[in-house]
Amino acid sequence: GGVSLRLCSTRVTLEGINRPVIDRIIRVDHAGEYGANRIYAGQMAVLGRSSVGPVIQQMWNQEKDHLKKFNELMVAYRVRPTALLPFWNVAGFVLGAGSALLGKKGAMACTVAVEESIADHYNSQIRTLMEEDPEKYKELLQTIKQFRDDEREHHDVGLEHDAEAAPAYVVLKTAIQLGCKAAIFLSERI
Amino acid sequence: AATAAGSLRRAGWALWRGRAVVRCQLSPPQRALQASALLRRVSDEQKEPFASSSQQHFDSHPTDHQPEKEPQGPRPSYTGQGGQESEDYESEEQLQHRILTAALEFVPEHGWTAEAIAEGAKTLGLSVAAAGMFHSDGSELILHFVSQCNTKLSELLEQEQKLVQLGEAEKKPTDQFLRDAVEARLRMLIPYIEKWPQALSILLLPRNIPSSLNLLSSMIDDIWHYAGDQSTDFNWYTRRAVLTGIYNTTELVMIQDSSPDFEDTWQFLENRVADAMNMRDTATQVQSTGEAVVQGLMGAAVTVSN
Repeated sequence: GGVSLRLCSTRVTLEGINRPVIDRIIRVDHAGEYGANRIYAGQMAVLGRSSVGPVIQQMWNQEKDHLKKFNELMVAYRVRPTALLPFWNVAGFVLGAGSALLGKKGAMACTVAVEESIADHYNSQIRTLMEEDPEKYKELLQTIKQFRDDEREHHDVGLEHDAEAAPAYVVLKTAIQLGCKAAIFLSERI
Repeated sequence: AATAAGSLRRAGWALWRGRAVVRCQLSPPQRALQASALLRRVSDEQKEPFASSSQQHFDSHPTDHQPEKEPQGPRPSYTGQGGQESEDYESEEQLQHRILTAALEFVPEHGWTAEAIAEGAKTLGLSVAAAGMFHSDGSELILHFVSQCNTKLSELLEQEQKLVQLGEAEKKPTDQFLRDAVEARLRMLIPYIEKWPQALSILLLPRNIPSSLNLLSSMIDDIWHYAGDQSTDFNWYTRRAVLTGIYNTTELVMIQDSSPDFEDTWQFLENRVADAMNMRDTATQVQSTGEAVVQGLMGAAVTVSN
């Protein structure tokens, strides 16, 4: 009898958490960071040696950290990764490279669009978790809040670098955000 | 003294209720499985038949509340609708689980049928009409059994993991771990192996497929988790698919195996696990070869363009 000790440090206690909700949150966030990584990789492939190279590289490094964190959370909460990962792998890279081929401003516009989508998405997750139980999910909330602030920063960096002067900015932004919404919907479920 | 014991039991119940309420947030199939796991522990802890005098039971109830222990004497005295508030309330689900657990002992003789359930109900002091609560094809009985086995397996793997963490046991290599886990799980079928083909065919009925797939996939996920799988990419899926294949084929081999202690089955299992490991090595090799080839081609392209 007695309470079983969790000696393994990567394991969080899974008792009492709302599994379906947490599952979705971690799965979609993991997919999102993975996609963001691939987008920046695509942008670097085209614009790596240009003047905005260092800026993109810096943002990419932060996304790599985010992905690492979600990999850990995924193992700790025993969440299934989305089956669409191979697809996001290619789609992300294509989006990044494609927007970069429109020029530096095009790449920045893509960044602004994606980061805005992600920040909104994180915000709604924060709302959900706060409604559920802020105490129980304190650590997760902290992580998501931190990441949301990082994404906001990327969004602002994109604006600073003349994203709005990109060709067909509004059309580009709307299309990319629609794509993000679809990706979020699918990754939550599949 | 009786009143004091009564109020302490109420407190215990309230605490347990709290946990039960939290658990009830799980989706229905998971809830059924959880409840099954809970209930199995209850029934394991009290082997005495329900028919023993309830008066005795009440007086001998320990007054200290042990955190891990499930409620002492769930009495199916009242399984009506508004019973959530009242003390001693045992839900219909709990009652069903108790009956099914008791029915397992009659399966080798009667198969996975309503007769076995009826016999089980009889040992609990209930009328054989209690079998009417269940489907006539024994689906719930089989699902209950599978869920019970899976829980036993999880506990076993958890114990082993603790031993390794405490340094009292060596960490097994992956193929050995998988072999032992699958063998341990399949050995639980041995007492029922004669009637198992019948069970398998019932589990494949369209009505039961969601539940049986759910149980199968969570069992496979559990095994990989304890084997130390930390993949967060598509490997997560390939590993589970491969292990599911190994498990299912080994199960089929076991059904028609007549060797002493099923040694042919374990040999088959060993070979399949070895195949899987080979497949993984081959895949890695193919990948590195592919990368090398691509690099070679790129180099050639650069050379040609210059």
